[in-house]
Amino acid sequence: MTRYACAALLTLLLTSIHVAAQDAAPKTAKPAPATTPATYVGSEVCGTCHEDIAKAFARSPHEAVEKGESKHGFKGQACESCHGPGSNHVMSLAAVDIRNPGKMAAAETDKTCLSCHRNQPTTSGRLESSHAHNDVACTSCHSVHAHGPNGLVSRKAPDINAQCESCHVEVKAAFAQPFRHRVPENAMTCVDCHNPHGSFKPGLMRMASANEPGCLKCHVDKRGPFAFEHAPVAEEGCESCHVAHGSENAKMLTRQEVRLVCLECHANLPVSTAPVNGVVPPAFHDMTSPRFRNCTICHQKIHGSHIDRNLLR
Amino acid sequence: MKRLLLNQAFRAKRGGRRAYTQAILIALLSTSALFGQTAETNPVPSGEPAVSGYIDLGYRWQTGVFGSLPTYRSIVDLGSGPKLLGADFTILNSGLPPGIRFFDRMNVRLTDIGDEPYETYHLDISKSKLYNFTGDYRNIAYYNNLPAFADPLFGSGLILDEQAMDIHKRLGDFRLDLFPNHTFMPYVEYDHASDYGNGIATFVANADEYPVRNLTRDADENYRAGVRMELPRWHFRLEQGGATFKDDEQLNAGGGPVNYGNFFSPILGQTLDLTSLSEAYAIRGHSVYTDGSFSANPFSWADIYGTFLYSQPVSNVGFAGLDSGNQVLLSQILFYTGEANFITAAAKAPHTSANLGAEIRPFRRVRLLPSWFTDRMHTSGSNAGLDTLQPAGCTPPQACPVISPPVSIASLLSSSLVANSNEAGMRIFIDVTNKLTIHGGFKYVWGNASDVVLPVAGLAGFETGRIRRAVGMAGLAWHPLQNAWFTIDVEEGTSGSTYFRTSLYDYQKASVRGRYRLAKDLTISASGLVLNNQNPTPGVNYSFLAHTESASLQYVPGGGKIWDFEGSYTRSALYSNIFFLDPEYLVPEQSKYRDNSHTATALLNLNMKGWLGYKTRLTVGGTAYFSNGSNPTTFYQPLARMSITLHKGLAWNTEWRYYGFDEAFYVFQGFRAQMVTTGVRITR
Repeated sequence: MTRYACAALLTLLLTSIHVAAQDAAPKTAKPAPATTPATYVGSEVCGTCHEDIAKAFARSPHEAVEKGESKHGFKGQACESCHGPGSNHVMSLAAVDIRNPGKMAAAETDKTCLSCHRNQPTTSGRLESSHAHNDVACTSCHSVHAHGPNGLVSRKAPDINAQCESCHVEVKAAFAQPFRHRVPENAMTCVDCHNPHGSFKPGLMRMASANEPGCLKCHVDKRGPFAFEHAPVAEEGCESCHVAHGSENAKMLTRQEVRLVCLECHANLPVSTAPVNGVVPPAFHDMTSPRFRNCTICHQKIHGSHIDRNLLR
Repeated sequence: MKRLLLNQAFRAKRGGRRAYTQAILIALLSTSALFGQTAETNPVPSGEPAVSGYIDLGYRWQTGVFGSLPTYRSIVDLGSGPKLLGADFTILNSGLPPGIRFFDRMNVRLTDIGDEPYETYHLDISKSKLYNFTGDYRNIAYYNNLPAFADPLFGSGLILDEQAMDIHKRLGDFRLDLFPNHTFMPYVEYDHASDYGNGIATFVANADEYPVRNLTRDADENYRAGVRMELPRWHFRLEQGGATFKDDEQLNAGGGPVNYGNFFSPILGQTLDLTSLSEAYAIRGHSVYTDGSFSANPFSWADIYGTFLYSQPVSNVGFAGLDSGNQVLLSQILFYTGEANFITAAAKAPHTSANLGAEIRPFRRVRLLPSWFTDRMHTSGSNAGLDTLQPAGCTPPQACPVISPPVSIASLLSSSLVANSNEAGMRIFIDVTNKLTIHGGFKYVWGNASDVVLPVAGLAGFETGRIRRAVGMAGLAWHPLQNAWFTIDVEEGTSGSTYFRTSLYDYQKASVRGRYRLAKDLTISASGLVLNNQNPTPGVNYSFLAHTESASLQYVPGGGKIWDFEGSYTRSALYSNIFFLDPEYLVPEQSKYRDNSHTATALLNLNMKGWLGYKTRLTVGGTAYFSNGSNPTTFYQPLARMSITLHKGLAWNTEWRYYGFDEAFYVFQGFRAQMVTTGVRITR
């Protein structure tokens, strides 16, 4: 922790010096903002200078705002629906005379977007999401004007994964391990499991069939409910035993040998002060015999069983 | 005309503001008239071709696998042959008048078709103001046959490979959103997921276990419909869904050599074996679920949100198993030659979740986020079985002097698993400046769980646990420049009790992330994460520390016209210590897990104009992973790719890939493989 604190402080210090140096560089004086109230000028006027943006915008889904198909109005004023009235900016050509959501604080940017997009299927968890907490604005991933191969946001598996990995470098590295979900092969995407807008669950995890774990959407044979559940699956989820992004251990297990995954909980060491579950193994086995070194050879229904209380079949 | 007038406006600005204003007014008048004409005629933008996209066709040669073929198939599984490597087409239906069009835009994407392990199909169709349809289908080969997983001592000659599978996962997701108006937007969705294939599983008898053939066959169908409602300040979503589930797994054996299982020593002079086996599961399940959420901005200074989820999955199970051979029931020292086992079971798991929260802005720079969450699940099950054993009276083909009557063992069990958890907290965010936000908060987590199987048998039967955890959080987000951001998050939790020995107890978690666009063409990013979890409770003494540091660089000089590079390096380490008692001899042992890994990725692109007379793009790079510790592993995946544009709309692509995998403790699982893929991309 101390090392991390030092590294963070050092980084802050270096960045501050760099920023201070940039701030100290001579700049042309910013024009004072206009004092008269701005009025709407229409998107055509904006497109005169911002021609590339206007062309791209005309082919983007947001063009619906321009055409008046949005219930919020702004027909012919799509640019100003986000940037605010632009007459002062047109007169002065100064950046200070126009709102630029791309340069505002993330919370302000999000407010602009959410004034229309509040009711996307997942927005209810947005305020609690780590993206929102870390000022990752909508515009960090969505290109509001763009119409390119990705549209407003990446839709193709390689593009989606690349976009997430551009910040989550350590996750990209986890997928370089041999046992992993098929994300590097682009058979899966990050958003298959995570909802970047927000989620009920930690880690922005998606859910299946209302509130069942999202893993069960693909791993349907593990879904149950079972007459004999394995408690950690229900209480702490798949990550009790598996590393979802990737692992050097077979079947993405947290340990290199199956018996260690099991015995770390089934330790046969009673805990009197604060009881924990599963400490007593249900049977005694000779771990020196190869028969018993891989518990799941026999306890093959380790995720839960309908038939056997010892999860044997 | 418009362009001319507006250009005049800018020339006028230099000359005088009055002339500029006049030109603007003229432009506005003329553009509004023109815009009014075009807006109604054609929602599909003009200027795009009716059909655009590409198709990649090719052939892959795999040079053969040196080393463990099962491991190669479990990790890579790419083969030789002709392939449809990818296709991506967009069709714009701009030829017909909007009123009689079925769609405005259609996008079709296919990847890896033709005996590839990961086939994907994707379809998007939309019509402005009417509907949006999305379809996604994947056929994923799931081969898993890792000798060292089944038996860490495989290298010594023992073969206990009893957990292999060669199945296909088929996943479909189809959704239709309708837009009848701006207030109510209904949607319907259908998901399908299934597994089918063969494998090896274990038949566990009373004193021995036998590897047998396993047929996997399960499917889940999920239907749901909902409506999004958008009122000026209140937005709602209501969804009702249902799912059906079936699993018809089978285990079979017989007809081959005698199966002696994993236990070879005679018991009371008799060797155990399995002659035949037929086991079938008939699992049928269904679920009805409700999903409702809202978010609102009732006041300018507050947003509120909430979600309610309820599901009640139910399973009904029939199981029949018939086996023959020479088996023993050790508890009664009863040798038997045949067994018939019939079991019925049922389980249901009503599950309710809800959350409620708000963002309150009492001052311009301050945001308060109270939140509450609850999750309550109760699984209850029952199981009734009748196991009938035919005692061994004699050994065929001898004539049996006395046929012993069958021995029947009936069982009736019931189970209950309750897991309730709750969380309440408050966070405060303060925008110190437009570039710096600091935040802090607190949450309290509490819950209880119990796991009961009645009647109690052996050592297991009834367990309870509870969780009590207080967590403090703090952090900052700093955007010193437009192209730079930096975040720190710190969390510290302390627990009174947890569900499991390895759960989070007294922990500190921190993450530091930063990204900085140093120059127009150079971006660097870095991150560091650490988790320290200690449980000093006597009998547990768990110590866990993991940290990961990453850095990446992206350099695109001149917009990547000649070359560009991206690379990353990650180092991660994990230390875990916990004691347990050996289950047989009750001797203390320590589970020590160590991982110290390094991962590097690099990709260099070179654009060579005019090389061989054709525009050529070369890509070299790949990924390297190596670790030491409890499971020292190396995994290399270098690649080189060349794309030559032969003609407008026609490119020749060639790719070389290499896979090298080694594990120091399981040398027999290593493999080497390389492959060359060549083909053409036809672009329209």
